[in-house]
Amino acid sequence: MNEAYIFDVLRTPRGKGKTTGALYEIKPIYLLATILRALEQRTALNTALVDDVILGCVGPINDQGFNIAKAGIMYAGWDVNAGGMQINRYCGSGLEAVNLAAMKVKAGWDELIVAGGTESMSRVPIGSDGGALLYDPEVINQLDYIPQGISADLIATLEGFSREEVDAYALLSHQRAAQAWEEQLFQRSIIPIHDQNGLLMLDKDEHIRPETTIESLNGLSPAFEQLGKKGFNEMALHKYPMVEKINHVHTAGNACGVVDGAALVLVGSKAMGEKLGLKPRAKILSASNISVEPTIMLTGPAPAANKALKRAKMKKEDIDLWECNEAFSAIVLKFLKDMDLNTDVVNVNGGAIAMGHPLGATGAMLLGTLLDELERRDLNTGLVTLCVGGGMGVSTIIERV
Amino acid sequence: MIHYKKDIDNIVTLTLDMQGRSANVINHEIREAFIPVLRHLQAEKKKGYLKGVILTSAKKTFLAGGDLEYLYKANDPTEIFTFAEQMKAFLRDLELPGVPVVAALNGSAIGAGFELALACHHRIAINHPKIKFGLPEVEIGLIPGGGGIIRLMWLLGIEKAFPILTEARRYNPQEALRVGIIDELANNEKDLLCKAKDWLLANQDQRRPWDRPGHEIPGGSANNHSTASMIRGLAANLAASTHHNYPALQAILNVLSDGSKVDFDTACRIEGRFYTDLVMSKECKNMIKAFWYDLNQIKAGINRPKGFGKFRPKKLGIIGAGRMGSGIAYAALKHGLEVVIKDVSRPIADRGREFIENKLAESIAAGEIEASDRTAYLKRISTTDTSKDFETCDLVIEAVFENKMVKEKVTREAEQFIDEYAFFATNTISIPITELAKASSRPENYIGLHFFHPADTIPLVEIVKGATTSDETVARAFDFVRAIGKTPIVVKDDWGFYAARVRNTYILEGVTMLQEGYSPALIENLGRQLGMPKGPLEWADDLGLDMVMRYEEQAAAHYGPKYIQHPAVKVLTKMIKELDRSGAKKKKGFYDYQKEVIIWPELTECFSCEVDLNVNLQELKERFLFAQVIEAIWCLQEKVIISYAAANLGSIYGWGFPAFKGGVIQYINDYGVEQFLERCDVLKEQFGQRFQAPKILEKVAAKAVWS
Repeated sequence: MNEAYIFDVLRTPRGKGKTTGALYEIKPIYLLATILRALEQRTALNTALVDDVILGCVGPINDQGFNIAKAGIMYAGWDVNAGGMQINRYCGSGLEAVNLAAMKVKAGWDELIVAGGTESMSRVPIGSDGGALLYDPEVINQLDYIPQGISADLIATLEGFSREEVDAYALLSHQRAAQAWEEQLFQRSIIPIHDQNGLLMLDKDEHIRPETTIESLNGLSPAFEQLGKKGFNEMALHKYPMVEKINHVHTAGNACGVVDGAALVLVGSKAMGEKLGLKPRAKILSASNISVEPTIMLTGPAPAANKALKRAKMKKEDIDLWECNEAFSAIVLKFLKDMDLNTDVVNVNGGAIAMGHPLGATGAMLLGTLLDELERRDLNTGLVTLCVGGGMGVSTIIERV
Repeated sequence: MIHYKKDIDNIVTLTLDMQGRSANVINHEIREAFIPVLRHLQAEKKKGYLKGVILTSAKKTFLAGGDLEYLYKANDPTEIFTFAEQMKAFLRDLELPGVPVVAALNGSAIGAGFELALACHHRIAINHPKIKFGLPEVEIGLIPGGGGIIRLMWLLGIEKAFPILTEARRYNPQEALRVGIIDELANNEKDLLCKAKDWLLANQDQRRPWDRPGHEIPGGSANNHSTASMIRGLAANLAASTHHNYPALQAILNVLSDGSKVDFDTACRIEGRFYTDLVMSKECKNMIKAFWYDLNQIKAGINRPKGFGKFRPKKLGIIGAGRMGSGIAYAALKHGLEVVIKDVSRPIADRGREFIENKLAESIAAGEIEASDRTAYLKRISTTDTSKDFETCDLVIEAVFENKMVKEKVTREAEQFIDEYAFFATNTISIPITELAKASSRPENYIGLHFFHPADTIPLVEIVKGATTSDETVARAFDFVRAIGKTPIVVKDDWGFYAARVRNTYILEGVTMLQEGYSPALIENLGRQLGMPKGPLEWADDLGLDMVMRYEEQAAAHYGPKYIQHPAVKVLTKMIKELDRSGAKKKKGFYDYQKEVIIWPELTECFSCEVDLNVNLQELKERFLFAQVIEAIWCLQEKVIISYAAANLGSIYGWGFPAFKGGVIQYINDYGVEQFLERCDVLKEQFGQRFQAPKILEKVAAKAVWS
């Protein structure tokens, strides 16, 4: 079979996903076009050779609706030959886009694909596109489908993660992210956002709070307690009746930030790399997606990682660095526990708790962060995994070349 | 059946008057009768001879609901759906633009009857508190099927329609006006017809909101983000409070949500499909069985001794102004009786009056009672410290605390003054009536009347016949319970009577699971999720573990050498004797009551419970239900209770056995008779003799099937 190589990774800085965020002012398609143009320029890409552009977007409605992938490349002035499609595997969309690209290339049917994702949560908040899982009372109740925050609290309850433990992990994320920015570790991949006059709008992740302390985290009130009392806690107990009550440990401080951002990964075959004069940075060894019981919903990362490892005929010891999306502290703690790993090798430059989680883009961002760090440390293999709505999990393993 | 009258202003009055019935009901007949009338009206309209229609009734009720006996037997979805479609087509004919129609509501309109009123352009009601309107179909596991959900949604919006459709409330005209289901009040019949005519003459061009182009549902459809979020909240709340056990409640929300996104006629068909599904459902059949057939049997007096004239109590004496005594007093007061409350002193007796004043205030605030009637209610209560004031009472109920000597003393005192015809009742929960009757000077007039907490709202009363109680006293007690609007069941003077005895098996089964190592949270959650009002351990704590134990000891004494000890006894003994945790009263039991009420953290350790994610939930749930059903069968076999109807309703009203199962006996039908017997064998094999099916079970099961 052919190999799928990664030639470049890049992302925008993440703006706060609210009206006071630096990227709220710009249209989602402008955000996307900025990074598409940056990719074109820095790789001197002949966009006529791009077979497809696959982009994750979890709120494909309004400004992000009607296939933002194709809309974005046209607006960015790419060659008419390039196709584009938008996909939605919820929080795993950005990584799923990379996996699909790798599959197309490995199958030999396509040679060059731009994968990634985009999400302007300040413009299109989560849930804007409706959907049966969120708003159809028959479906919600038939499945006991609960909000993710309650699922995260349920995981913490079942696993016995205390508020102190989840806060301690959140603090680590903030400290690591702040340190990484300080040392300019993300510099290679960040594409600053300018307006049409070239005036700078944002060049740094806006959500990090370096001043975060354990005390400030401890002082925050539980984010999902009120929601739980509306009936969702009781729904969780329908599936998990062994739980006396849900321990609401998650807060705005130990859950991922709501942000705007976009990321791209250039994937292609060896021959195409040579043709374009691009040096492969890594190859994609395997990819997986799985699904678990949907009420607890967010325990997918470990089984997804294990499936990817098995597919690559690797053991966990063969992986040098790991990225597990910080949707909530408990998701990472559960992943560490399931995989018997420690934080020395997982999310070493912080994650979504500190920097935010632009839903459709995050998977591609994590892959880029991982690749940059493997190169910096001169290590070889890395695994990315995310928990995903509906109980799913997505994972990808890369190896430097 | 429909009287037609046209006046000089070309206003037609249609008066419903179904022959051979005391009330008008919705059935095939009424639709058939309407077809020629509607045709005639359409012809008149074409000719320009018609300005409006007034719909009213010649009966005391305007129009009652659907035909439950038809619905109970209906088992062909095509027929059910088609009938609903025809009914809707008829209602649509009535309301489609052309001629305005007013419902002149001179009496109650409930269920399908109110759906007809909703299909009129305007609703005017006589302002009389006895008249009621509402859509309480969910009470029997059903939903409106004539477009009622959709019309209400278009009139009020989803948020306001939801409680009206799910709370099964019956609104008097003033409340109905306030919540928006009627439009206008009239003082009397004449005023009603006048107002109807005035409205028709002033409102010639009438279109229902859903027939007006561009008109929207108030608050928006479920496509609207904030409405969708509100619906999600309602869904969660519903799931939490009913644990998916009541499909009709869920169907209301489903129909509102989905129906709001499409046009009116399509929405009505969506409603019709859910309606059909529910008519076919076990839950609906079970609930019609319990709340129609069984209840009617009881009301008809299947367990009332025959040959005694109807007793019409006017004045009730209560001894003991505690919560129980005051609750009984309030129930009687609401049904027009006079009440004397006695306690050891006037100030203490006055607490009963205070309780009633508070309850009245609540009822007035809720709109159930008119504020102007408050004084009349309070006039009918008096308080005293002497039994002499019982002289004019038709019966006296003592609700003093559970002590034999005290009960004997108050009995003797009261009997000095009450007349020969009056009877005396005790509200004991655990002392045999036959024993207490020994202190009575007229033991044939001495009986047990077992009310349940809170006595003013729980609809069940156990009538306990002692060895010396006369049949006439039983009949009079029965009539009294009916007179205060409650459901009487006649039970034998054995330990725990019926309700407490059967309920105890649920508690004991839960306690046994603890011994088997299941986590207490699992036990409690499963109990509630299968539809019981409380977890078994919580219930044990509330009653007191010694009380739970006492019932079982009484069973042991009753059966003598045949008694096989329940495995729960060991746990209860350990809890009471070793761990000194006897329940909520002591602020320590299975639960801990220090800061907040939580399961006692050390409980899992004491009984080596494990949190296992792979337990057989279905089996545990069945043990809870089977334990109760089998005990109820024992009660039938031992004549503790004497009818299936009483056993079913007693279980639902008395201790909250799941209503959607139709009660303890109907549960066997729901489960399948054969399957139930087979399952008993399996459970007996695995968990012990207590799951042995009593001999008469096969007979009971066969006969319990409704034919």
